[in-house]
Parts: sequence; C-alpha cells; structure tokens
Amino acid sequence: MINVSRRGRVVATAIVIVAGLICLFPLYWMVVIATHTNQEFYRVPPPVLPGSGALENLHQLTANVDILHALWNSVYVALAHSVLVLFFCSLAGYGFSRFRSAPGHRGLYAFTLATIMIPPAAGLIPWFVEMKWLGWLNSYWPMIVPDAANAFGIFWMKQYIDRSIPHDLYEAARIDGASDLWTYWRVVVPLIRPGLGALGIWTFLATWNLFLVPLLVLNDKGLFTLPLALTGLQSLYGTNIPATMLGTAIGVAPLLIAFCLFSRQFIAGLTGGAVKE
Amino acid sequence: MVRPLSSMRHSRLGRHGTFYLTILPFLVLFGAFGLFPVLASLYLGFTDWDGLSAPRFVGIQNYVDLVRDPVFRISIANTLMLWACSTAATVGIAFVLAFLVNYYVPGGRSVLQVVFLAPLLVAPAMTAIITQAMFSSNGGVVNDLLGAALRHPVTFDWTRSAWALKALIVWMVVWRWTGWHMVIFVAGFQTIPLQTYEAAIVDGARPSQIFRLVTLPLMRPIVMFSLITATVGGLQLFDEVYVLTGGTGGAQHAGMTMAIYLYQAAFQDFRFGLGSAAAYVIFALIMVASLLLSRSTNPQGAPA
Repeated sequence: MINVSRRGRVVATAIVIVAGLICLFPLYWMVVIATHTNQEFYRVPPPVLPGSGALENLHQLTANVDILHALWNSVYVALAHSVLVLFFCSLAGYGFSRFRSAPGHRGLYAFTLATIMIPPAAGLIPWFVEMKWLGWLNSYWPMIVPDAANAFGIFWMKQYIDRSIPHDLYEAARIDGASDLWTYWRVVVPLIRPGLGALGIWTFLATWNLFLVPLLVLNDKGLFTLPLALTGLQSLYGTNIPATMLGTAIGVAPLLIAFCLFSRQFIAGLTGGAVKE
Repeated sequence: MVRPLSSMRHSRLGRHGTFYLTILPFLVLFGAFGLFPVLASLYLGFTDWDGLSAPRFVGIQNYVDLVRDPVFRISIANTLMLWACSTAATVGIAFVLAFLVNYYVPGGRSVLQVVFLAPLLVAPAMTAIITQAMFSSNGGVVNDLLGAALRHPVTFDWTRSAWALKALIVWMVVWRWTGWHMVIFVAGFQTIPLQTYEAAIVDGARPSQIFRLVTLPLMRPIVMFSLITATVGGLQLFDEVYVLTGGTGGAQHAGMTMAIYLYQAAFQDFRFGLGSAAAYVIFALIMVASLLLSRSTNPQGAPA
C-alpha cells in the first residue's frame, strides 16, 4: 500500500485523469456551445472548440431573459444571506464553545445538532404559508432570514472556535474587564477569519444555487435569481440551445471564479466538518 | 481596567446570560421556521386544506388517498430506485477515486480537488439545463458521439424514454456529488497513520488483508457519514428532476420523485393536506433509511 508499483501509479493516475475529464467535459461543452451560433450548433460535424458566436447568443439571450439583472439579484441575495449566517452562526458557536458550564448547555447543543436531521421537505408547506402570512412572498426575505442561524453552521463554527481559541484567552479578556459580547466581536471574530471564510463561501454557493425556494416564493420576473431565470429560457425556446448555454455559463462563471480564488477555503470548509481531528 | 468585586460577581451571572443571548437567534429562527412548520405539517396531514378557506379535519383520509394513488406509489418506487443507484454509484466511485488519489497518484492533489469539486458549483437547476442540452435528440453531443461511433445518425430522445430519463437523473447526481464525497474520503484516508500500515506489514499482512482489516474499518464512520448525507439528499431529490422534466415528472411519470409529487399536490393542485401527508412519508422514509444505514455499517450494534 505504501510502496506501490510504478505501473500501479500510472494506471491509477490514468483512471483519475479520465474521471476528471468526465467531470469537466459538460462544462467545457457548455462553453463550446455557448460560443457558437444556433446554425453552427446543428452543423455536421458539430463544433468541438470554442467559437466566436458568443455575442450573437448574448443578444438572443438578453432579448428573452434579463440575465444581468438576475445575476445582480443572485449576488445580492447570496451576500445578504451569507453575512447574516456568518454573524448568527459564529455568535452561537462562540456561545456553545465558551460557556460550557452554563445550565442546559449540553442538552441545548445536542438539540441543535439533532435539528440537522430534519429534512426541509417535512415542513415545506406550513413554511410557505408562514411566508405568506408574514407578507414575505415575492420578496427576498424567505431566502435570507429563516435559515440564517442554521444548525450546521453553528456546529461548524463551534468546532472551529474550539480548535482555534484557547480558554486562557477568554480568562485574560475577562480579567481585563471585557464583556462577553465585546470579547466575541473584538477577540474571537478576528481570530476565526479563515473559518468565517470557509463557512461564508459555502453559504454563498448554496444560496446562489437555490431553486425550490425562489420557485415557490418569487413571482416577479424582475426578482428572479439566476437558476430560476434560466429555466424560464427552456420553455420560451426549446430551439436555441446555444443561447441557453451562454446563460448557464454566465450563471456558473462567478462561482467558478470564486472557487478558483478561494479553493483553500472551500476545501477547508468541506473537510473540517466531516472529519474529526 | 479593574472592576470592583461586586460587578465581577454580577458578570458571572451575566456570563451565563450571554450564553443564552448568543443562541437566541437560532432558537427563535428555528422555532418559528423549522420546528413549527414540521409540527404543523403533521397536523395538516390529517386535514383537507386548499390554503384559502379553513382546514377541514379528515383523519387519515390523506394517507389512504396516498396509498391508493398509483402515481404516489410510482413516486416512491422511483425515489427509492434513483436513491439506491445514485448513492451506490456516487459513494462507490468516490471511494475508489479517493483511494487511488491518496495512495497511488503522485501529486497534483489540489488541482484534482478543484476539478472534482467543480460540478458541485453548478446549481442543480443549471446542471439539468446543461444535461438536457447535452442529451438533446438533435445536436446534443451524446447523440452526436453515438452517431459517430455507430456511423448512423442517432436521434434518440433521452427524456422521453423511461429508463433513459432515470439514467440521466442518476448521471446528474453522480456527476455533481462524487467529487464532494471524494474530497471527504481523501481527508479520511489521510487520518490513517502510516505507522498503522507499517505495523500491519511487519505483522505479515497481505495488501488485501490490510485493506479489509485496517483501511475499511477505520473509514467506516466517514463512509457512513457519506451514505447518510447522500440518503437525506437523495430521497428529497427535486431541483434537477423538476427542471429536466419541466415540472411534470416526465413521460409516464418516469421522473416522478416524492418531492415532485409533494410539490404538485401542494402548489399545483392546492391540496395542502395531501402534500403534508406526503411530506411526512418522505420524512419517515428518511428517518428509517438513516437508522438502517447507521446500524448496518456498525455491525457491533453499538450506536456510532
């Protein structure tokens, strides 16, 4: 296992590379088609390399879907939600991490973790009715507020704060007369920035990709976020696939760029939660 | 800045007060938007409600209707089948790939992780749009490649055929999630210390024995985490299927999952009671499946 044959390495690497290519192929194909015009799409043999038809597709796209507006909407909702999540989850994570001797601490933490097991589908209908009663339909509130203090984020932040902040630091702050909330804001938060980065970027991603909630809640086309706006394309035009592909490329590009820039935070957020160190 | 003794005593009580303050947002939000809806759903499952007039208590009629509805039964079968295939494929492939990457592939790990995680970035709804285009009967790359291989134009309509539609759904889930599980497994493999392997080799263990008796047991908790996560997600599959079938569940309900059934019952037919009953069936199934999984990967029987 530790000393593997050279042939073993070559075969394994080949398999992994093939798998990687399969992963990337749909995205590559999307870019190829997005940059070819509709006529070129049906050409035989079909295009294999990116072309120069992107501009024409963009015209067709924006004629039917206000893509830039949807892009902006997605950014706004994802940012607002992520900021709120970071605040509430780091606050609760701090509480759970620091005040272990508070009465009911254990039970409350166990309860918080248990709520992760509840599937969203279970309460969907009453949840929708609540949105209606609050007057939050056709607005962004349902995507920003209800989920803002989610148990998984709290779990993640507590683990991170457990690992990063020694209790002596709290003692020192307390002796210096710092209030608990001041300690949170001025001591803990600056020290957990990488953890905030990881949770923030995953929350941003998840919010950007939301489909069911916007589908249920939003009626105004002007409010649509990207995934929702793009599905509107399908029914309008079953026949202009390249323009649709350009739309999805626009929808995916910001995240891919963010991912390449922040890949470390992404992966830290992924492995930190699943594997106990 | 030294505080007088009296206020230090006060701050000890205040300290506990702060704890409750920090978790208050979670308790309020979860109570209002998590717990209440789930409990209300239970109640609604026993009523007939169109969302406008008052709910009417009907006992277990909704559940009876569900059992009698062939479409619901199809949706259960579809959901279970799609879940089983996609979970087995995703976790299995991810495990193999992670194993190869961790022990065999010499380097480039961070690049590989970026590559394999890329599908996760694409919104499920958009994955469905791309898949629809790729498998489109005329001009889609898959049919083009098949046509080139068979030297005969292929215009197979993947979304109209029952088995092909299911295959597409499984493909979308596998494409999306394999990288995620793979990264987790790689991290898991890395927690197995080399000394453990060396000790096993010194004891004369063969590679297959090492795999079976060292690697697998140590990876069990992580594999279970993966399986349960995949199950909770897989049994609620909605976005990709909805977009791929245009919200209809496919020809002959081939793509009808329980989540789509719920959505249609509640938000297209406005039968909130029936939809809530369906939601609880999904909930129960997820609980049962998760319990069975955590028992099966822990043969000693003790809860993990």
